[in-house]
Amino acid sequence: MRFLTLTPVMAVLMQAAYDPIREEIGRLQRNFQGLIWGFVAAWVILLVYTLMLTARERKIRREMERLKSMVEETGNK
Amino acid sequence: MRQKAMFAMLALAMVLLVRNLYTISMLPDEVNQGQIFRIIFFHLPAAIAAMLGSAVALVASVLFLVKKNFQYDALAVAVTEVGLAFLAVNLVTGSIWARVIWGVWWAWDPRLTSALICWILYAGYLILRQALEEPTQRATFAAVYSIFAFTDVPIVYFSIRWWRTIHPQPVFFSKGGSFPPDWSRALLVNLVAIFLLYTVLTMIRLRQEQTQREIDYLRRTVHAT
Repeated sequence: MRFLTLTPVMAVLMQAAYDPIREEIGRLQRNFQGLIWGFVAAWVILLVYTLMLTARERKIRREMERLKSMVEETGNK
Repeated sequence: MRQKAMFAMLALAMVLLVRNLYTISMLPDEVNQGQIFRIIFFHLPAAIAAMLGSAVALVASVLFLVKKNFQYDALAVAVTEVGLAFLAVNLVTGSIWARVIWGVWWAWDPRLTSALICWILYAGYLILRQALEEPTQRATFAAVYSIFAFTDVPIVYFSIRWWRTIHPQPVFFSKGGSFPPDWSRALLVNLVAIFLLYTVLTMIRLRQEQTQREIDYLRRTVHAT
């Protein structure tokens, strides 16, 4: 008996909890955030790789200069 | 001359990518997936670039084994390393796309799994090169390994046709695929831009490999005297 009186109240509460418009807005927001994160991730990976290449380039140049000066020194001796 | 060509290609790639961002944002949303579908403009070109890179690595490796010319070995390592970065872009963007559409970051699906194996195999190629000191031995072992690693590439490509998978079927080069003309144009522009970027990075990496070879030669000269 008590359950029967509560049923309409529960129905109203459930209806209030499920708001299709809010649900759709949430879905669109998640969708957009996912897209932004995807683009950011793609650029970050390529940027990190480019920075790694730049660091290696610097290291190689330093090594080359060091070795060239060593070869010159041994040539002078 | 080579430097100027590299800068010109890089500038063109950047202009195309930035300009295309605007074009992509103006396109209408995909009916079922909404905005997230736009991730295809990076996901797909990165995959195609990486796959073509691995094909170039295969050819360069075979040519090295036949001709024993170290230029081919240098080309193989350059395209493989850059390809690994692009395959990482493909895997990460795919994972984000999956999280939004499938509700999970990762699924042990044939396409995803074979692509991950491909990445691991080519990462193994670079690790193998680090492990070997002697240049001829390193180049030979790496060339054989690269040929072996390439066997996974057709598996990645055909996995969605051979097995039942949750990954979408191809939208290009297939009978069932349909892509609106304005979307195709934008995708083609991104594809060209990504290829240009790939080429520039490969050229830089190739030059580094050639300089490294010179360093090795100088080192031997210094030790010999």
